[in-house]
Amino acid sequence: MHRSLRDSTIRRGARRCVPTILTLLVGATVASGVTLDAQVLDGEGEPVKDAVVYAAPLDGRPPLGEGPPAVVIDQVDKEFVPYVTAVPVGTRIRFPNRDQIRHHVYSFSKAKSFEIPLYKGVPPQPIRFDAAGEVALGCNIHDWMRAYVFVSETPYFAVTDENGRAALGLPDGGYRVEVWHPELDGRPEDTAREVHVGGGEPAALHLSIEKRRVWRPRRAPSLADPSYR
Amino acid sequence: MHLQFRSFRTRILALVVGLLVLVQGAVLLSVHVANLGSARRHVDEALELTAAAFRRSLRTREEILVERARLLSSDFAFKQVVATDDRATILSALENHRARVRADVMMVLAPSGEAIADTLHRERGGGRSLPSLVEEAKQHEYGEASAIQLLDRIPFQLAIVPFFDPEPSAWIVIGFRIDDAFARLLQQETGTHVTLMRRQHDAWEVYSSTLPEALRRALAAGLSTRPAAEREIVDVALSGDDYVSWIAPLDDPGAELFAVLQRSLDEALEPFLRLRTVLILVFSAGILLSLGAVAWIANRVTRPVAELARGALRIEGGNYVDPVRVDQDDELGALAASFNAMMKGLKERDQARDLLGRVVAPQIAEELLAREIELGGEERQVTVLFADIRGFTSRAEREDPQRLVQILNLFLTALSTAIDRHGGVVEEYMGDGAKAIFGAPVGHADDPLRAVRAALALRDALPAVNAEIAALGAEPLQIGIGVHSAEVIAGRMGSLSRLKYTVVGDGVNVASRLEGLTRRYGVPVLVSRDTREATPGIAFREIDLVSLRGRDAPVALFEPLGPEDALPDTLRRIAALHPEALEHFRARRWERAIGAFEELSRLEQPSPLYAFYLERIARLRADPPGTDWDGRFGPDPG
Repeated sequence: MHRSLRDSTIRRGARRCVPTILTLLVGATVASGVTLDAQVLDGEGEPVKDAVVYAAPLDGRPPLGEGPPAVVIDQVDKEFVPYVTAVPVGTRIRFPNRDQIRHHVYSFSKAKSFEIPLYKGVPPQPIRFDAAGEVALGCNIHDWMRAYVFVSETPYFAVTDENGRAALGLPDGGYRVEVWHPELDGRPEDTAREVHVGGGEPAALHLSIEKRRVWRPRRAPSLADPSYR
Repeated sequence: MHLQFRSFRTRILALVVGLLVLVQGAVLLSVHVANLGSARRHVDEALELTAAAFRRSLRTREEILVERARLLSSDFAFKQVVATDDRATILSALENHRARVRADVMMVLAPSGEAIADTLHRERGGGRSLPSLVEEAKQHEYGEASAIQLLDRIPFQLAIVPFFDPEPSAWIVIGFRIDDAFARLLQQETGTHVTLMRRQHDAWEVYSSTLPEALRRALAAGLSTRPAAEREIVDVALSGDDYVSWIAPLDDPGAELFAVLQRSLDEALEPFLRLRTVLILVFSAGILLSLGAVAWIANRVTRPVAELARGALRIEGGNYVDPVRVDQDDELGALAASFNAMMKGLKERDQARDLLGRVVAPQIAEELLAREIELGGEERQVTVLFADIRGFTSRAEREDPQRLVQILNLFLTALSTAIDRHGGVVEEYMGDGAKAIFGAPVGHADDPLRAVRAALALRDALPAVNAEIAALGAEPLQIGIGVHSAEVIAGRMGSLSRLKYTVVGDGVNVASRLEGLTRRYGVPVLVSRDTREATPGIAFREIDLVSLRGRDAPVALFEPLGPEDALPDTLRRIAALHPEALEHFRARRWERAIGAFEELSRLEQPSPLYAFYLERIARLRADPPGTDWDGRFGPDPG
């Protein structure tokens, strides 16, 4: 599981952020007795990476644990790393700039609208995401830079690896499982499935979503990485 | 004749000029057709290139539009404006940007394609929706598209791009109005007239054009009468001028918008037309020059030919004096020189022939002229006639030479008349006599008879000749004629420089001897047995048997008396009595012979022949011959 998580979170040039995610997920699975092994596939049966699978207990809103640790979304080589970050409501996220140039991080999303004007290094204050929902992040001066923060109401969530797999540690009980993805065609509610876990048996769940086309501005040509379009 | 040569010249002229016109015309026509085809192809190809340039130009403008839209789609300030959700502010910012990039329309569309803000409809979006444009953009890798569409019935070139905040959450649309300025801009780039039109149920409407107003209407009317064309190059006549037109649908499914690119065909074909004019001028000049040259050549040929023809006519008329005059150094000049030389030759030959005809008999002249000049003869059966005037030599001594010639000519004229009339030829005159031939060079089946008749004719003509001679105051002539038929050699003899046609041989000598013997017997004509036997219908009397030099057998001599059927009574009686008298003589019955001869003498007055026989009998009685005497005369005169 660790291995697959690690695989799922390693992005190009993003190795240093791995411990953070591990901490987050390990923290979330301490109390659980069952692992829900979910796989997300698209309409063509291909695994979907960077999908957020989250489970809400059917018996009501579970109490959040102590405040989650600070999460970091880096800016490396004029890209956000990672592309999709799932956090529980109330998480503070720092946006350290690892490039030698300034970035201007912003979001006009309803769940969190903010702006960190042109800066270098680590901004003094983290941004607190205190409303559930998706937040699209951009950089004012680099049109193509984009990342998503999925602010989850439930503590039970995971982001799929390139095999479309995500493992959720769930206490025994019934759950409503939903999927969100930046290219999801439709609302997450439409993907909802109910599962019941218990008896120490690992559970498996296959989830299928339809993707839509989401355009991205062209990245300015880079001699350092001509493969990027 | 002259007219014919004129027409010959005309024919040469017509032929050469006709050929020239034909060949040049064919060349001109093929060049014209090839040129026209090439020019037309060139025009079409140029228009195709122009069409490609036009499409490229449209694409370039699309790209410009897209880029200008892109500027706004990632503009941070505009994102902030959109985030405010304040429609008025959004519209104002759109207007600002529209002015900044000098576009005619800008819009923000919801993801579904409905207008949120529209600079053409300030109040509440205007309800406009561009679903087809949005649909096209959705298929694109970067969500960008462009098209020509009608907005409020006005064509616009539109571009659409996603609006990023930073997610693609709306569409930005930007557009240029397609108007005359747009057409003029395209005209600058393509060099053709540009017209943008819409077709609705075969009715065409002009939106913008670089054409003048009148031509726009003509174009719309012209296209409306044509069947719907998808994309093609057609010729459209506008106000009398043909325009090559390229009609292409614009990239707008459903809107039926077309771009029409036009170029004046006359203008495009101008270089070709200029070339054609030059070709026609060159062609005409060539024809005129050729006409002159051919006329000159034809003149140079026909004038001398006509002169030669006139010369030939003169020769035909016997004029050998005037030469033809051709002052040319060419073949015709040489021909004229040859012609003149020929004329001179003809003249000399004519004179020679004339002279020859007088010197020799015409038949001999013909024979001499007909063959190559060579010596040689052939064996021929002929009858030779010798005639002369008896005692002419002694007469010549005492006669006046002038009168002698007159007498001689009278006789010879009668002689040649008699010979000619009977188909013989006088081979030559020999002083007071002549030698004539029957059977060469022209032969007849009855040559001996002809010769005997000629001899009789001359005998009978003598009284008339003598009458003329008597008129001159001279004594009458006595003549002797010898005729013999034999095989002789006839041909051209002498030397190459001086030859004559003659006959030679023993037979000729015999004839000559017979002529000489006439004097002894006092008869005018003597013929040999060979001749006598070949002349039926003539009455003869045998004169004697004589020995001739070189011959053993005696030769019998006969005198022709005349045609058997027209013999006078006296001669008939003489002819009847004569053989008996001769028989008595040869049988040595002298008394009876004398009686017979005396009787014959009485019939024939005077009778030198019978006087001769009576005298001869007297001599033989005095000196009788040997027992072997056969009645012949000689060798010693007996």
